[in-house]
Amino acid sequence: MQSKMKESDPILEVKNLSASTDNLPILKGVSLTVFPGEIHAIMGRNGCGKSTFSKIIAGHPSYNITNGDIKFLGENINSLEPEERSQSGIFLGFQYPIEIPGVSNLEFLRVSTNARRKFLNKEELDTFDFEELVKEKLEIVKMDQAFLSRSVNQGFSGGEKKRNEILQMALLEPKIAILDETDSGLDIDALRIVASGIKRISNSQTGIILITHYQRLLDEIKPNYVHVMSDGQIIKTGESDLALELEKKGYEWTDNFIKET
Amino acid sequence: MEIIDKIKTNKSIDNQTEIKKICLDKLQSSPLPNPRSEQWRLSNKSKLSNFLDYSVNKNNSKIDIPYPKNSQSTIRLIIGENCQINLIEKNYSIQQLSEDELQKYIKEQISFFNQNENWSDLLNLSLSCQNNILGLKINGSKIPPIEIFSHASSNSLNAKTLIIFLEKNCNVELLQVNLGEDNSSLSQATFFCLEKNSSLNHGVVSYGVNKSNLLNSLNVIQQKNSEYNLGSLHFKFNYARFEIRIKQSEGNAKTNIKGMQITKKDEQISTYTKIDFDGPNGFLDQINKSLADDKSHAIFEGSIIVPKIAQKTDASQLSRNLLLSNLAQIDTKPQLEIIADDVKCKHGATISQLNEEELFYMRTRGITLKEASKLQLSSYFQEIISFIPVSKDRWDLLDKLLNEN
Repeated sequence: MQSKMKESDPILEVKNLSASTDNLPILKGVSLTVFPGEIHAIMGRNGCGKSTFSKIIAGHPSYNITNGDIKFLGENINSLEPEERSQSGIFLGFQYPIEIPGVSNLEFLRVSTNARRKFLNKEELDTFDFEELVKEKLEIVKMDQAFLSRSVNQGFSGGEKKRNEILQMALLEPKIAILDETDSGLDIDALRIVASGIKRISNSQTGIILITHYQRLLDEIKPNYVHVMSDGQIIKTGESDLALELEKKGYEWTDNFIKET
Repeated sequence: MEIIDKIKTNKSIDNQTEIKKICLDKLQSSPLPNPRSEQWRLSNKSKLSNFLDYSVNKNNSKIDIPYPKNSQSTIRLIIGENCQINLIEKNYSIQQLSEDELQKYIKEQISFFNQNENWSDLLNLSLSCQNNILGLKINGSKIPPIEIFSHASSNSLNAKTLIIFLEKNCNVELLQVNLGEDNSSLSQATFFCLEKNSSLNHGVVSYGVNKSNLLNSLNVIQQKNSEYNLGSLHFKFNYARFEIRIKQSEGNAKTNIKGMQITKKDEQISTYTKIDFDGPNGFLDQINKSLADDKSHAIFEGSIIVPKIAQKTDASQLSRNLLLSNLAQIDTKPQLEIIADDVKCKHGATISQLNEEELFYMRTRGITLKEASKLQLSSYFQEIISFIPVSKDRWDLLDKLLNEN
């Protein structure tokens, strides 16, 4: 799926998306459109469907889309495999990055990067060329080269795992990145490093969806839009000040919107 | 089962050695193992019968060695082909055991044999001809790596025996490779005696082709302060049994075992281990992995025996298994028999499938499901492969395995 889009066309267009797992409905008609250069934040209580939304966009096989469409760069991707979505430019930053013992981080990053490069008709990189590239990207997240020789995420601290996610994002150069609670478990310094990494990678051609509970990430990366999710639906959308209001008033405040709905 | 008929009538063997006579006598009363015994109840009867269907071949066909020698210094021996060795160097010596030494040692071993438990050894010793028995005593230091090959020719049963004495204070790295040809049965029996302060890093890699069968038994006696490390891998056999019996004769010794068996199609591969602590302060760390696909069957039965004399034993036995198909079967039974009251012993078993979340994570990074599964299996194999003393640069065993899975 190569982009034949105009700059003004949306990168991601989710229309009335409903999804379930084991016959249990999780998403109940979510709509969201992301244009190039936009940053969206999704907030909401635990269990409201935020992480599920991100996994469904990335193609998790445990969820069934029961209604609605996901369009990426103008094409419906409902039936694409997770790897096809990734190769075409969708990136999911995990809330809990998975440890893969015995698989070297460097080799894992190289295989992933080459999968994306192949899709983009770019030359695949051998180990030596890749090491040059990865050194350059390591600087973005202030990671030490020693991380490359370790197994993927194994024995990494929470902060190191999140930085490794951003390193992967930097290498894959996605069109859209969905970052699921990237700020959770980070101390103030690590949060700044991660936030600055995200800002350096994003540009006027890319879109970002930040899933978060806290204003502190949004202080570092100002979103264009904030969406509040509850019980598998987006119940309110506003600009960045909506997050501030939410921080002040808590989620109980949003319960009124559900009643109004 | 031609062989069993011959054992029953005791007709086959001309010029019988004393050892053969003893073994045949032991086997004659009950030529087959008891199918109800713990060691044999899960063994596939028709596959065992198929193992015994070939006639014994005393002559060896030329072996096709799967990889070149790592370096000039590596000592490579092929049982039945080039068994002659007599090396006396400045720092070490590797010499063949005399006929008397061999007979004496084997007779002593046989006196402890139990018909069911040691049936594979008894069969081997009753069939193995002089040309197919390699006995070595090794001493000294800076000993070059040793590789020992055994193989079975097509449409025949070959019996090979290896006996090694590691004398005091010597350290050896030894890789044993057992190869099966098409429609063949290999009976391999190995006996090691590790004297005080000696250490052996032992690798066993066994693999066959279509309808290869293997009975592989390994008997190790460890004296005080010896260290025995075993890394083993068995795959591509219609039927294979790996029996490991280790005795820490006076305790105060260390044993580390990391083994793996991979089964596909309708293959059956099993590992039986018995570790005896006959003295205090013994140490064991054992992990056995099985990976079963298609309609295959993998078995692990392990027992750790800790009698009263074996106080302060520290032993751990873990069985980890991956089931890749709904029709595949895994049986696992790690067991402890503890009489001593001041010991640290643990055992456990897990059976699982490929980790879905790991696969999804890799797929969200553009890696296909096939590649992601391969990476996950590679990480599963790695722990065992890295423990086998094998020249990685010359023989990329891991790749071979992954390409076949």
